[in-house]
Amino acid sequence: MIKDLILMNGYGVYVWSSFIITLFTCVAVYLKTLKTLKKYEKEFASEIEKLSVEKKKIVLKNSKIAPQVLSSYNKTL
Amino acid sequence: MFNIFHNSNLFKWIEKLIYFINSIFFILLLVALSFALILSPADYLQGDSVRIMYVHVPAAWIGLASFSFIALLSLINFIFKIKYFSLITKSIAPIGLMFTCIAIITGSIWGQPTWGTFWAWDARIISMSILAFFYFLFICVHKLFSDQEIADRISSIIAIFGAINIPIIKYSVNWWNTLHQPASIKILGSSTIHSSMLLPLFLMFFVLILYCALIFLMKYKTEIIRIKKKNLKRL
Repeated sequence: MIKDLILMNGYGVYVWSSFIITLFTCVAVYLKTLKTLKKYEKEFASEIEKLSVEKKKIVLKNSKIAPQVLSSYNKTL
Repeated sequence: MFNIFHNSNLFKWIEKLIYFINSIFFILLLVALSFALILSPADYLQGDSVRIMYVHVPAAWIGLASFSFIALLSLINFIFKIKYFSLITKSIAPIGLMFTCIAIITGSIWGQPTWGTFWAWDARIISMSILAFFYFLFICVHKLFSDQEIADRISSIIAIFGAINIPIIKYSVNWWNTLHQPASIKILGSSTIHSSMLLPLFLMFFVLILYCALIFLMKYKTEIIRIKKKNLKRL
């Protein structure tokens, strides 16, 4: 049964290569996107850290997004 | 009117949606792959090579739908200047390019056992390659121009101009005598494909749409953070 699944009556090489190319591309794009997201989260967090205490308070108070980015970044640490 | 799409409103949902999709994705992927590779029947004429359809057709649908959506949002953005629409189009474009390329490559692989060649100067294949070229141009504009407004304007023109290619792709198999078969699945009218093949096809389509949503949300989140980071530097 496994041999039939792999060979697919001679079409296995075409079918499996199509599925493998698709899955490999999807995984590669997912990992690249995740890496870029984490990089920007990290850079954003370090930019916040560089701010003076007053500015930091203002940013965290006025921005809806900044606290969420920081909490998301802290979760990954 | 478009406040629901505003970054601060969307951002709180992005994290939840990413978590939700991640939690159900692998189970759905396994079910869809089981149907596509094992449970669905072989075609009476094409044999098991028909299984390539389960990645080729959804990839082509996504490639076409993404560009249509980009063109629509670009047109609205061009007229009404809604900035976060350009963020959405910028986040969708790489996904559309990826699936257009997958459709071309898997179609080429399918062509070898079916037509006896990997490539033919066929109207459908050429129009799909032109679509990939428009995606490439759209992405390049955003990479090349540092001024966001200029990049948005040029990319909008590319998307609107490229939308002319969408009906050409759709009707190329009817307008010209091509190697590519006419559409088996029709929105209006009855489909010429059996339900035992339709189910895995729609399952794979659903899984790939979920994947697109996941990548889009991650890219959109990255874009928002990038903008917020720029604003921080201005303080």
